[in-house]
Amino acid sequence: MAYTPQYYPGASHVAVNRRKHMSGDIEKLRTVSDDDLVAALGHRAPGADYPSIHPPLKEMGEPDCPVRQMVEPTPGAAAGDRVRYSQFTDSMYSAPSIPYFRSYYAAINFRGVDPGTLSGRQIVEARERDMEEQCKATIESEMTCPALAGLRGCTVHGHSLRLAEDGLMFDMLQRTHMEGGNVIEDKDQVGVPIDRKVNLGKPMSDAEAKKRTTIYRTDGVKYRDEPEVLDHVHLVHHRRTMYGYRPETAAETAPGVGPVTYHTV
Amino acid sequence: MAYKYPSEKIFVEALKAKFAGLDLSEQKVRYVRAGYVQNARKREFQAAGERVAAQRGMQQYDVNIHCGGMTLGQRQLVPYKISTTPDIVEGDDLHYVNNPAMQQMWDDIKRTIIVGMDLAHETLEKRLGKEVTPESIAGYMEAVNHTMPGAAIVQEHMVETHPGLVDDCYVKLFTGDDELADEIDSQYVININDLFDKEGQADQIKAAMGKTTWQAVHIPTIVVRCCDGGNTSRWSAMQIGMSFIAAYNMCAGEAAVADLAFAAKHAAAVQMAEMLPARRARSPNEPGGLSFGYCADMCQTQRIAPDDPVRCTLEVVATGTMLYDQIWLGSYMSGGVGFTQYATAAYTNDVLDDFTYYGYDYALNKFGDDGSAPNDLATATDLATEVTLNAMECYEDYPTLLEDHFGGSQRAGVMAAASACTTGIATGNAQVALSAWYMSMYLHKEGWGRLGFFGYDLQDQCGATNVCSYQGDEGCCLELRGANYPNYAMNVGHQGEYAGITQSAHSGNHDAYCCNPLIKVCFADPALVFDFSHTRKEYARGAMRTFRPAGERSLVIPAGI
Repeated sequence: MAYTPQYYPGASHVAVNRRKHMSGDIEKLRTVSDDDLVAALGHRAPGADYPSIHPPLKEMGEPDCPVRQMVEPTPGAAAGDRVRYSQFTDSMYSAPSIPYFRSYYAAINFRGVDPGTLSGRQIVEARERDMEEQCKATIESEMTCPALAGLRGCTVHGHSLRLAEDGLMFDMLQRTHMEGGNVIEDKDQVGVPIDRKVNLGKPMSDAEAKKRTTIYRTDGVKYRDEPEVLDHVHLVHHRRTMYGYRPETAAETAPGVGPVTYHTV
Repeated sequence: MAYKYPSEKIFVEALKAKFAGLDLSEQKVRYVRAGYVQNARKREFQAAGERVAAQRGMQQYDVNIHCGGMTLGQRQLVPYKISTTPDIVEGDDLHYVNNPAMQQMWDDIKRTIIVGMDLAHETLEKRLGKEVTPESIAGYMEAVNHTMPGAAIVQEHMVETHPGLVDDCYVKLFTGDDELADEIDSQYVININDLFDKEGQADQIKAAMGKTTWQAVHIPTIVVRCCDGGNTSRWSAMQIGMSFIAAYNMCAGEAAVADLAFAAKHAAAVQMAEMLPARRARSPNEPGGLSFGYCADMCQTQRIAPDDPVRCTLEVVATGTMLYDQIWLGSYMSGGVGFTQYATAAYTNDVLDDFTYYGYDYALNKFGDDGSAPNDLATATDLATEVTLNAMECYEDYPTLLEDHFGGSQRAGVMAAASACTTGIATGNAQVALSAWYMSMYLHKEGWGRLGFFGYDLQDQCGATNVCSYQGDEGCCLELRGANYPNYAMNVGHQGEYAGITQSAHSGNHDAYCCNPLIKVCFADPALVFDFSHTRKEYARGAMRTFRPAGERSLVIPAGI
């Protein structure tokens, strides 16, 4: 599928990282085996077949439908996989990714995914093997620091809590711990113990996390110091307001476009 | 008002109390995982659960059920400081089930109806040729205060309610006619001149009312605990009709009684909240029909402290968040206990106060007096940007503050409310203030790449489009929007703040009321069980178990429960 990268305002490295996440131009930092990922997700036993909810599409005799002719099924849909999820929590303390940019990454770069975005968690639902493909790419990449982000199906408030002494994001269910300098996961997404230790690798250093992060913070790149992003937000607000009121004036009076120019405070 | 934002953040005192001995700016902490036993209230709950189970022979509350044995308290269970008060309370005591003051606040609204007297007086005078005088009105007030609690007045051998069970029920009169007010026995009168003695508020209210006369009717709390809010007008109208019959020596069966009943039930009745459409299926006087303007008018801080518009505004926020979030959305519409967490963020730990006073100081310096800033999008943009950036920086600089508001919805509601309330006070215009709300939401989402729960993707992303548009079912002035306004009907963390935004505009203008002067006068009455001029203080009393509610049944049940 041909894809043209999305663009995003801002000159700082935070803005650059946001553009990278959106376009999928992200660096792979670690390897997590397929079986380890399956165990951590907790949906099926490693090595087990994918449970299905319908026969393979080729065996179903689908109706003559122009949409079906245009859209090639994803591997999971073609096989009849059930819909399952992966859900990440990202710490506010300079975790590499943030919920909306995880969603943009998933929606722009993968097919058949259903991202959901909240403050403490970001979920992707998809056919099981499609979800695993997307999750694996995410967890192995620079979008994820094993200490500052994690697979969490529930109790996600750790995203805004102070970090633990060892630098791990707080987790009520203690799904991960430090062992030999690496982050080890021994519970699945919802906190059920698994029969293996999944090695997620070393945490990012503070400096590396700040270099790779996509969040604006006073101890990193200050939001206040990114005027292009602020002006972009002001423009969105102005246009949404005016298009509901007098749409014919929205473009001509927009900040930076028409006679009204907003200066960032 | 001359105001200077203090050199130390206002919320710091609360954080010091909550996180005693810890560095408020430290990003790391040692998690002790002490469990539920660290908290006195949780221990009390666990013991109570064990007693209940033993008494009834069936398991009840057991903290060990939580998360498969991972009990509450894996982090520090911190208390809450009720904003602007010195009172520190347990979070559990801010759930309305545990807080009788919160219950009474809603009871006092639900059991209230305002009924005009002029239509009835015209019926008596013009149709029946009876004379209505201050003396006859006083006689009627005596009759109605006898019968409104549930006493018989024109029929022998009737059952009646125990006066001790309904001691909170009464009817008072208020009027824009000073001469008439002076001639009625003062026990029956809500004295507008005395209660609204600041900034010419009494004159504003009387000018809006004209020389009309109204009854503030409060039926017994125990009645609305058994029946829905729609019962208030019926209970009230029946007793009003009987009282007119008794006071004016009418025939109980004459046709004019129907006119009196129609006036009391419909033509002259002001419900506190409108009936909801069938899909929500709620009667009048239920919270879903309560407009933001009425909610703001029920709160009375503007009457006693008009020189502090931030305080006036945030008392309304506290009133609205408890009512709309904790009771309406949290129970009527959803169920569960989670909604309390959204609401408390707006009235605890002085956080919203800090953000709003910061904005107030900024606006005063930039635009001058309250209500004087230009009513345009540039003002909303300017104020919302500064207030939101400041608030985000506070969360970043004080990790314990971020931990206190551990959900994005809490942060979103508080930051947007501070932005909007600042703008309302500065401009005196609720629509411009509302625009600032949406600006704050956009800025928050873009800066941190997260906002609140899914609902924030709905109304907070599309809401700016109907700030100025008044197309039917899409837009309306904020005073007349309410909990069932289309985009607002399902989302926690918003409605109480909208009521506060409404107040902010009128506090900025130093108005005596926001939407309806009758509502304002009715809830000014110091005889009400809940004190609507000190909402947060009343919540604290409820949490500390010093608030005495109405509607108790101890007179008619065995002692020693």
